Formats: sequence, structure tokens, C-alpha cells
Amino acid sequence: MVENRPWLTVTRHLVLILGVFIIGFPIWIALVASTNSSSEFVSGLMPLWFGEEGFGNFRRVLANEERVLGVSVSASWMMWNSFIMAMVIAVGKIVISIMSAYAIVYFRFPFRKTCFWLIFLTLMLPVEVRILPTYEVVASLGMLNSYAGLTIPLIASATATFLFRQFFMSVPSSLMEAARIDGAGPLKFFKDILLPLSVNNIAALFVILFIYGWNQYLWPLLITTDEDYYTIVMVIKRLMSAGEGNIPWNIIMTTTILAMLPPVIVVLGMQKLFVKGLIEQEK
Amino acid sequence: MATVSLKNINKTYANGHQAIENLNLDITDGEMLVLVGPSGCGKSTSLRMVAGLETITGGDLYIDDVRVNDLEPSERDIAMVFQNYALYPHMTVFQNMAYGLKNRKVPKDEIQKKVEKAAEILEITNLLHYKPGQLSGGQRQRVAMGRAIVRNPKVFLFDEPLSNLDAKLRVQMRIEIKRLQQEFATTAIYVTHDQVEAMTLADRLVVMNEGNVEQVGPPIELYEKPATQFVAGFLGSPAMNFLDASLNGNRLTLSADVVLELNDPNLPADAHDLDVVLGIRPEHMEACEEAEADFTLSVDMIEPLGADTLLYGYFPGTEALITSEQPGKQQFKRGHRLPLRVDRERCHLFDKATGKRLGS
Repeated sequence: MVENRPWLTVTRHLVLILGVFIIGFPIWIALVASTNSSSEFVSGLMPLWFGEEGFGNFRRVLANEERVLGVSVSASWMMWNSFIMAMVIAVGKIVISIMSAYAIVYFRFPFRKTCFWLIFLTLMLPVEVRILPTYEVVASLGMLNSYAGLTIPLIASATATFLFRQFFMSVPSSLMEAARIDGAGPLKFFKDILLPLSVNNIAALFVILFIYGWNQYLWPLLITTDEDYYTIVMVIKRLMSAGEGNIPWNIIMTTTILAMLPPVIVVLGMQKLFVKGLIEQEK
Repeated sequence: MATVSLKNINKTYANGHQAIENLNLDITDGEMLVLVGPSGCGKSTSLRMVAGLETITGGDLYIDDVRVNDLEPSERDIAMVFQNYALYPHMTVFQNMAYGLKNRKVPKDEIQKKVEKAAEILEITNLLHYKPGQLSGGQRQRVAMGRAIVRNPKVFLFDEPLSNLDAKLRVQMRIEIKRLQQEFATTAIYVTHDQVEAMTLADRLVVMNEGNVEQVGPPIELYEKPATQFVAGFLGSPAMNFLDASLNGNRLTLSADVVLELNDPNLPADAHDLDVVLGIRPEHMEACEEAEADFTLSVDMIEPLGADTLLYGYFPGTEALITSEQPGKQQFKRGHRLPLRVDRERCHLFDKATGKRLGS
């Protein structure tokens, strides 16, 4: 419905500006704080304009100069850890779920429905619910303090399987039949037809899952004691509870800005595919 | 060069539903066989069994005297054109047509040559680098045809290929398909629910109903001598009129006032008050003088089609709605009383109990 009334236009813009402000202001605060020196925060007020530090805080945090982060590893190393974790989780989830969805939709095997419902049921059991048994398993497998421990338990994904299943079911069955007549076996059909058709869905899922993996907090906190495997999100919380003294807000905000960057880059870079994957079916 | 032969083919689904019962068909080399019938009659299932997309639960299927029941669709050397075209949306027209050849490990330059030749025949050379999404329905149909002919298969299978096209294109493509099939002289099985398509395309026509074959033969033969009431009612547009009657020898009593003397030596001579159904096509009732008329139709509804006019009315003394086709130049009004004479040579009689044709 497109109406053209002046007061409607004004209201519309007011609402939008309010929305932008609500989202934008905290980011502004973080960005500004990251350029101030620690002395600016003594009064307990957040500065609202850039300070003199410039990129100095970023340099210090990225290289962990003077142990500003309170740990022995630098922010760049922890970002690398986070990146590996997010990538492995996102890619792993996509690979596993696209294959299981393919099996469930295109093959008739005994207990096919049971398999699907079992996968579906795990939707009700997110990481937080099964965290103790999962920890127990990971610990007994000796995967504490390792990339495998950080990623593997988070890879199984009912949501992604379900999404791919829905998408595969919307692909006309005659495509599969045409491929069979054209001499494409199951693997060829998957590789030549289904995978290229799923590109948009894969991209959309990748964005969501990458951010999911990047933002993991509880799980890495539980299974890492070795600072070498700390992730960037973990260290923010550690900084906030660092001792009795003044909380180093400038360092926290610098780290926060750094932690926000990769998801933003992924979203911006894949925006087009992301939107397509969520709304559009290839004609 | 191929023959296809279906011997006692059965299809029973896992839930016990029998879709096809003892289907026997022999398709000779280069023939266009059309399967026609209402939806759910098993025509598509039969075609898909020939293609290998449905398993055959009983009987034998031969292509060129080789039993192919257990062969994969790709090993049967057939090509199929689907109702929704089933083009791969992410591939260009060229890739779509080349995919089957590529999977058969045909050398690249040969693929190039074959695709270009097929494209030329179908006049889609300028579309080769487009994707299916950018094409119109008719163009997609051509590409789907191209994908079929490029492999030069033993058998073409068509599964209602024209149903998604608009009326004008359908006629155009119908002619095109006929031309191509004759040019290539490839054996073809064509499934449709459209009886006009069936009549025009078929070398031989198979009318199916509820998993059984009602009649097989050249279209004109089926039109002129339908073996069952079902075939009679299915073929021909507008559809044949059916009137309940009773037969005594050659005397057909339609109502107290309307009695027809038929002159058919093949009618059962011993017929005595036999319940029959008279089938008479709308175009086989002639307007005439009142004195010569068999009955008078009180016109209830008029559909002028230009060349012809269709008149609807109730057969006097009954509740049977009948259709009469008259030349379009004549003007009719609702309530018009039209004396009609039934063409005795073109009456079809069916046993009311069995639906089978009586007489010749």
C-alpha cells in the first residue's frame, strides 16, 4: 500500500530515525570510546566525541602491548581463533546438513522418517541444554583446549538440515528425472544440479551460521583453559571483570569493535546472495 | 530405429492400488503412438514405466527385443519431454542440451556440433547462451525438444508437453512436433489428455480408462467405430450425445414418439427389449423439413462458434441434454424448435450393461 500523505511521511521518517538511533548509538559509543585514553573514563561518564588516542588503542589491543588484555595472547590471535571456530562451524554445518537433507529427501531407505524426526527433535536441545553431557563427552575424548573441541560439538544442525530439506522438496521432481534420463547418477545430480541451485541458500545459511559461530561464548568459555584457544568474544567479558581497579573501557570497546568487524564484513560482502537466498526461488 | 513392446505390464503401488492392469502394446518402428485418457487413467504411469522412472511390478518391457525392465532410464536410450520442461535452471540452453551427451562422455567438439545442429533444426540457435528463466514458454518447450533430439535416442517420450502453453502456441508446437517426429522417423510415445492433440498427432491412438486399454487403432477408426461407449464419449468435440433406448431387432425405441429403423445386419437379431445406449455425434444430426424429422429439438442454449453453431436442448420426452452442431451462417434463437434427422449410417449402439459396441 503506497499512500502519499505528508504527516505519514514525517511519522515514517521519525520511526526510521528512531530505529537507526537505537541501533547506531551504542556502536557510536563503542567507536568513540575506542579512541579515548583510559583517563577519560575516570569520571564514570562515557565520552561522546573522539579522543586523541586515534588508532593507538587498536594497535595495543591487536598486539597485546603491555598485556592490556590481561591475557598472554593478542587480540589478533584470538580473532584468528574465533575465525577458525566460526568458519569450521559454518562450513561443517552446511556440509553435514546439505548431505543429510539430500539423503532424507531423495532416497527411500528404512526409517527415513524416523531419521528426519530424530534430527528435527534435536532442535529442542540447543547447546545450552545439553552442555554438561557434551562437556563430559568432549572431555573424555581429550578434546578440551583444541580446535576440534571448540567446533565439532556445535556442527550438528537441525535447523540447516530442515531448511535444505524444505528447499529440496521445492525443487521439481522432474528435474531429478530429467537428470536420470540424461545419465546423471545420484552424486552427479547432487553436484551438477542440486548444489548449483542451492547456492543462494548456502550463502544465506553461511552468513547466519558464521555469525552464530563467531558469537559463541558459553561453549568456548567452558572447554578452554589454555589461553592459546581463547576467542575474542570471551576476552571482552574477562576484561570487564578484571580486578578491583578501573575497568579499561577504552580497551573493552576497542576489542568490541574488533569483534564486530568480521560479521559485518561477512554480512556486507554476502548481502546480495543472503537476501536472494531468503526470499527468492530460482525460476 | 526401434520397436517398443509392452507385455502384460502391471503396476501396483505399495499401498495396493493397481494403476495399470495387464497392459499389452506393440509400437512399431517410427510410429507415433498417443496415449489418451482422463486424468488418473494410467497413461502417464505407463509412459513413466517405459522411461524407467517408475518400477514395473509385473510383465516385461522390450525395447528392440531387449528386456529393459531392470535398466536405468539412461541405459534405455530414450529421451523424454516433460510437461514442465524440467530444464536445469542454472545452465544455459547450450549446457542443458549438452548435459546428457556430456554424461555419456561424448567428445567436446562432437557435442558442440550436435547441439548446434539440433538448435538449428529447432531455430533456437540465437538462444543458446540464455538461461531457461529468460525464455518464454514456447522457447523453453523448444529447448526441451532440443534436449531430446540432440541425443538421437531410440524412443521419444512426451509427457503432456503442450499443456503449459497457451492455445495458439499449442497448435503451432503440435504441428512442429509432428513434423520433427516424421523427419527423424523416431518411434515416439506421446501422452496427453487433450483429444484434439491426440487425434492430430497419432499414427495410432490408445484410449485408456482406469488402468485399462479401451481401444487401440488409427484415430479415424476410433472416431468412426468406437469400441466402447467410453471411447465414443471421449473422442470428438463437442462430445457425442448418448440416449437411452431399447432395441428390438433393428427397431430402436428412444421414446414413445421416436422410433428409429436401423439397417444394420450385424445387430443381434434376437435382441428383444435390449437396453442399449444410442450414441450420435452433434454433427451427425441434420436440420430438415418437419415431415422428414426424427424429432424436434427445442433450443435451450446457443453457442455460436463462427464456423458452426452449437445448439443445446433436451431430447423430447426425456431429461437428456443433447447437442447439435449446425452451420454457423444460420441464425438461431432461444426457444427455436428445430426439426432434426438422425444420420442412420452414423448411429453408434452400445450395450447399456457392458458399454461395448453393438452392430457394425
